[in-house]
Amino acid sequence: MEILLVVLVIVLALFFDFTNGFHDTANAMATPIATGALKPKVAVTIAAILNLVGAFLSTEVARTISGGIIKEGDGGILITPELIFAGLLGAIVWNMITWLLGLPSSSSHALFGGLIGATIVGFGVYAIDFSVVLSKVVLPAVLAPLTAGLIAYTATKLAYAITRRYDGKPDGRDGFRYGQIFSSSLVALAHGTNDAQKTMGVITLLLISVGLQPVGSGPEFWVVTVCAVAIALGTYVGGWRIIKTLGTGLTDIKPAQGFAAETSTAATILASTHLGFALSTTQVASGSVIGSGMGRRGSKVRWGTAGRIGVGWLLTLPSAGIVGALAAFVATFGVVGIIIDTIVAAVVVGGIFLWSRRSEVDASNVVSEVASSGRAVKIKKNPKPKKKVAP
Amino acid sequence: MIDWLAFLLVLVSALIATVVVVSLYSLGLRLLTVSGRTPIVTPAEFTDAITVVTPAEAKAAAKKAAKAAKKSPLTDGQKRAALIGARACFVVSAIAVIVGIYLIVPVLHGFLN
Repeated sequence: MEILLVVLVIVLALFFDFTNGFHDTANAMATPIATGALKPKVAVTIAAILNLVGAFLSTEVARTISGGIIKEGDGGILITPELIFAGLLGAIVWNMITWLLGLPSSSSHALFGGLIGATIVGFGVYAIDFSVVLSKVVLPAVLAPLTAGLIAYTATKLAYAITRRYDGKPDGRDGFRYGQIFSSSLVALAHGTNDAQKTMGVITLLLISVGLQPVGSGPEFWVVTVCAVAIALGTYVGGWRIIKTLGTGLTDIKPAQGFAAETSTAATILASTHLGFALSTTQVASGSVIGSGMGRRGSKVRWGTAGRIGVGWLLTLPSAGIVGALAAFVATFGVVGIIIDTIVAAVVVGGIFLWSRRSEVDASNVVSEVASSGRAVKIKKNPKPKKKVAP
Repeated sequence: MIDWLAFLLVLVSALIATVVVVSLYSLGLRLLTVSGRTPIVTPAEFTDAITVVTPAEAKAAAKKAAKAAKKSPLTDGQKRAALIGARACFVVSAIAVIVGIYLIVPVLHGFLN
């Protein structure tokens, strides 16, 4: 029975990984496609390959999840596969709900929320290492988008200032389109380093829980490989949906701005990954898009829109926690509980999928979250640059 | 215990990396334009979403750039220097990216030692 459960949880975790890639292709590749830097087919292929490569580059974030958040080993608890199963279900169900309602959310935080909720039900509050949750999940969640926004703002100002010409001659800003090919590739790579590792962390936690791996060890090579493949496949498949229906929300992003935003996103995620901060790449990319919008002349922040995005982010962790806790409560009834959980989740996910098919996919509901965060900044069309000195 | 220093480290290192890469790339573009080789990049493919540059606009931009290049007050030597400078900027900016990736990937450190 246990081996069956382990296989079930691994499949579920890989499904989560796949949807993550599926969901996030747009974060890296929507901008270069919209500004015409890359052909859509090429962009999606590059994103998939770099996600695959990125997944192999680091294991710090996976260690945070498998070894940090839940107290294991001496004086701690031994989490059971049932609870990991419940936590994953919580994350997947909450992800589907927010996807249906069009709420901005983060699959990473849904995952943490689900795991934390399930652990609290299984072992009580003391089993969670809240200092790790605070320092490696909650605070990075708040600080990373701000950091990325600040950096993108600075970079956008710089990019425009350096290329600005007051004599009306061509400024060569078209060349940022070439730059975007590289900067968006870096974002895809960074996405692989951070997001694929979350699934690796969960599978490692599972293997530790059934005693196949010592407490505190990092992910096995085969785990890294399957997670990398799952996220790359998801990215590739998800890309086609985006190409077909890419909205108009991004046309306001100029190549110079896109280049600055993407470089800032990639740098922030890569630096955070290196220190083991598990952050939401969606939130970082959104922060960069808003920051770089503010860096353009004649821009004004729509605080209402920005605020709504922020509230959606804050809700994710506790909400997924509640769903995870419910699933964990049912799972405490043993085999019957697991079966009930699986059936309920399948009905909910299937129902949501069928429900979503009823509504037509169009530009208004398919624009990625990152793209829609661009709407939080209002930019006047082509304001004249102020002359510094008359020559 | 919260490691505030780590957050500061992320901010500072990401800021430095971004500023270096974006500044160098922008400077490269500026110098490229000065040297009379203004890059005109037409979108790779026209999907519905792209309204940034139409083919006619791109053609007009290319014409304008050629005109501006012809009127340039710089000597040929100065133009050549600007072009070399531009290329140097692009190369250094690419190296900065590669060094950044090298720094955060522990596996690569083994290969070089």
